Amino acid sequence: MNRHSLIDQMLLALLCLLPIHAIGGQALHLPADGDPEQARPLIIHAALDLAHVRPLLNAFHRRHPRVDIVYRNLTTLSLHERFLGRPEEVDVMISSAMPWQFALANAGHARPLDDATLADWPAWAHWRRELIAFTFEPIVMVVHRDLAQIAATPNNHGELLALLLEHRQELKGRVASYDPMRSGAGYAYAMEESRRSPRYWDLIAALGGVDARLMDTTAEMLDGLEEGHLLIGYNLLGSYAAPIVEANPELTLIIPDDYALVTRRLAFVPRRAPHPDTATLFMEYLMSRQGQRTLAEETSLGALHPALEGPGTATELRERFGDALHSPRLGPGLLVGLDRLKRQALLARFRREFQRESSGVMDAETATTAD
Amino acid sequence: MKAAHSLYGRLLGWLTLPLLTLGALLLLQAWLEARTTADHAYDRLLEAASLAIAEQVQRQDDRLWLDLPPAALEMLAGDAQERVFYSLSDQQGRHITGNARLPLPSDRSAADGGLLYRDIDWQGLRLRQGIRRSRLEGWQSGESFDVSVAHTREGRDALRFELLRGNLAGILGMGMLAVVTLLMALRAALRPLTRLRHAIRTRDPRTLAPLDLDLPRELAELRETLNGLLSRMRRVRANQERFIGDASHQLRTPLAGISARAELALRQTQPERWRAALETIHSTSENTARLAMQLLSLTRLANPEYRPELIPVDLNDCARQAVRDHWMTCHQAGVDLGADCLASPVHVAADWQLQESLANLIDNSRRYGASRITLGVMTHPPRLVIEDDGPGIPADQHLLVLRPFHRGRDDHEGSGLGLAIADGIARNHGARLSLGDSAMGSSLRVEIRFPEASQ
Repeated sequence: MNRHSLIDQMLLALLCLLPIHAIGGQALHLPADGDPEQARPLIIHAALDLAHVRPLLNAFHRRHPRVDIVYRNLTTLSLHERFLGRPEEVDVMISSAMPWQFALANAGHARPLDDATLADWPAWAHWRRELIAFTFEPIVMVVHRDLAQIAATPNNHGELLALLLEHRQELKGRVASYDPMRSGAGYAYAMEESRRSPRYWDLIAALGGVDARLMDTTAEMLDGLEEGHLLIGYNLLGSYAAPIVEANPELTLIIPDDYALVTRRLAFVPRRAPHPDTATLFMEYLMSRQGQRTLAEETSLGALHPALEGPGTATELRERFGDALHSPRLGPGLLVGLDRLKRQALLARFRREFQRESSGVMDAETATTAD
Repeated sequence: MKAAHSLYGRLLGWLTLPLLTLGALLLLQAWLEARTTADHAYDRLLEAASLAIAEQVQRQDDRLWLDLPPAALEMLAGDAQERVFYSLSDQQGRHITGNARLPLPSDRSAADGGLLYRDIDWQGLRLRQGIRRSRLEGWQSGESFDVSVAHTREGRDALRFELLRGNLAGILGMGMLAVVTLLMALRAALRPLTRLRHAIRTRDPRTLAPLDLDLPRELAELRETLNGLLSRMRRVRANQERFIGDASHQLRTPLAGISARAELALRQTQPERWRAALETIHSTSENTARLAMQLLSLTRLANPEYRPELIPVDLNDCARQAVRDHWMTCHQAGVDLGADCLASPVHVAADWQLQESLANLIDNSRRYGASRITLGVMTHPPRLVIEDDGPGIPADQHLLVLRPFHRGRDDHEGSGLGLAIADGIARNHGARLSLGDSAMGSSLRVEIRFPEASQ
């Protein structure tokens, strides 16, 4: 019997609800230069859009042209599922689903990296040298310019709450957020926020009061904002929103200044990786200054390396927001989110609070998927 | 010479052995103790985490409910970033929630009312598990449940090695101190031995004077033994010197006689006188030659290196051979020589010297005035007996006559060596020569008694 059967079922049930960051089946192949006999294969499975990762892979390939890279972009669900089915086929696993990645590492699926590799990598950005956090992506609010006709742009959670309570009628149906019942990311944020602040539940009640639309993905919310029928998007993944907002002058990206969640993508080399040497090479590159600079300058994923400064780095964000940035600690606390009972309790509370001020009833589909 | 034969090495070995054993025992104890201490320290984490979880267990919607506290898992991970596992099971052992189905002990009553710690091997991971059996508190029902938490052992192992390293330093330090002390003590204890060696080495090789050296008790015994040996050597040397003196004297006297007789004869002119002188000189020189030969055998017998090659010999043959060899000489001297043999052979281990011994004894009896000499053979133990009807030797002289140059009577006919040689030969054969009075009155009976086992 598979050792993870029960947990897996549970995880997979949850993963079904994760946002689809990437379209399944997307793949990229960067063949090695020169003699194919001497090519060093590297197989990366990730839940990370090709658009975001391509600059990074290209830079790595320029540096190590002998590496033959196969990159497969999967949904967090199929990534996890596929790994448990065939843990020996992949060299590097990358996913933003922190609890799930942590659960794999905790169960002993990850291979520890050398001390030397992690010499100048901050201790808070890795776990047992097995699980490496390499990006720094804030969770943001995005508002449409039309909101200015109703009220001032909220800069933090308190102002958002006040805004929602004050302009309940004008904002009805024009606010969107993640659905924690259907989206893993939304669930993870709800988990973190409910732990951070007791006023979170007031905010949920207020969101319920304006009949906020609960959505599955950041992309869906961005679509609504771009089209203009949404005025406020709450809890969007900053790295996905940034390029859209930049391209669209009608939208504004707001990092709340009271507290802002930060999510970090986690990578690990599986214990049974077929090409651990090449995998280590890639991990070293991910953590190197060059790799991190590529992340900062050529992608919208924030670079985590503490020695890097400038736009797109954690240092810059920290300078601007200081203690307001909250990233879930890389530790067994992450496992709590995967607890079956914990999840049921949180979602029940969410439903209760959301409906407290709501004029309507949640649609039946949403209510039944909770369990 | 091998190291094991050095006194220093042997002492060092015997003292190091218990020291090493003691060190090994100390290490073992330190190892076990470090393990216990580390487990004790880290089991508190299991205790606290399981308690934190158990406190959050309640009954909700008619089933067990857990609001998992994140702090409990964080606590379990500790500084060493352990892998953590937890599970909650109900009274019947059914899994309620958790990130692992940790095994529960088969005898679940053992954990009742408290905490059970144990080491488990789970999915290839070495884990330390803590199982807390707890009971729902409240007015509804006292349903019991098990909270099981586990984590990897890295933190424990690290602490254990740290503790062990500390202990190891202490034990090694003590060991070094002990070894240094041991070496110094050994050196000090063996110093008198070196002194003794020096004293012996720096002595004049010719001196046999006793050692005068202040030594500890054990070595003083050795010194006394050495001094005893030295004094025996002094006596031996004195004996040798006396023997040489006696021998020179014995040889000088007849030679001086020959010289004087020859000188006297040269002054005379009659051939008859010359002839008489020559006869005297001949007889004396013969005696002297015999004396020289006897001295030679005596010297050979006194050589402690000499080991006769013994072969089985029948004493009857021996006696008969002696009679055959000496009958003519005795007959000319008017002495009646006979042998009294047994019908059955009496075997002893002997060599040619035995004949010489008999020759000496027969010669001795003949010279001292016996007219009848009888050789006898007896068994149990095998014995050779020579009896004569001569004047005999007083009992108080029996031991003295066995010494070289001692003569029962003060005449110049015998050399006084015959009995001494016979005695020496008997000793070389492991036999004993004793003198006694003959059954024939005041005559001499010499008995050579061989050991029984030689048959």
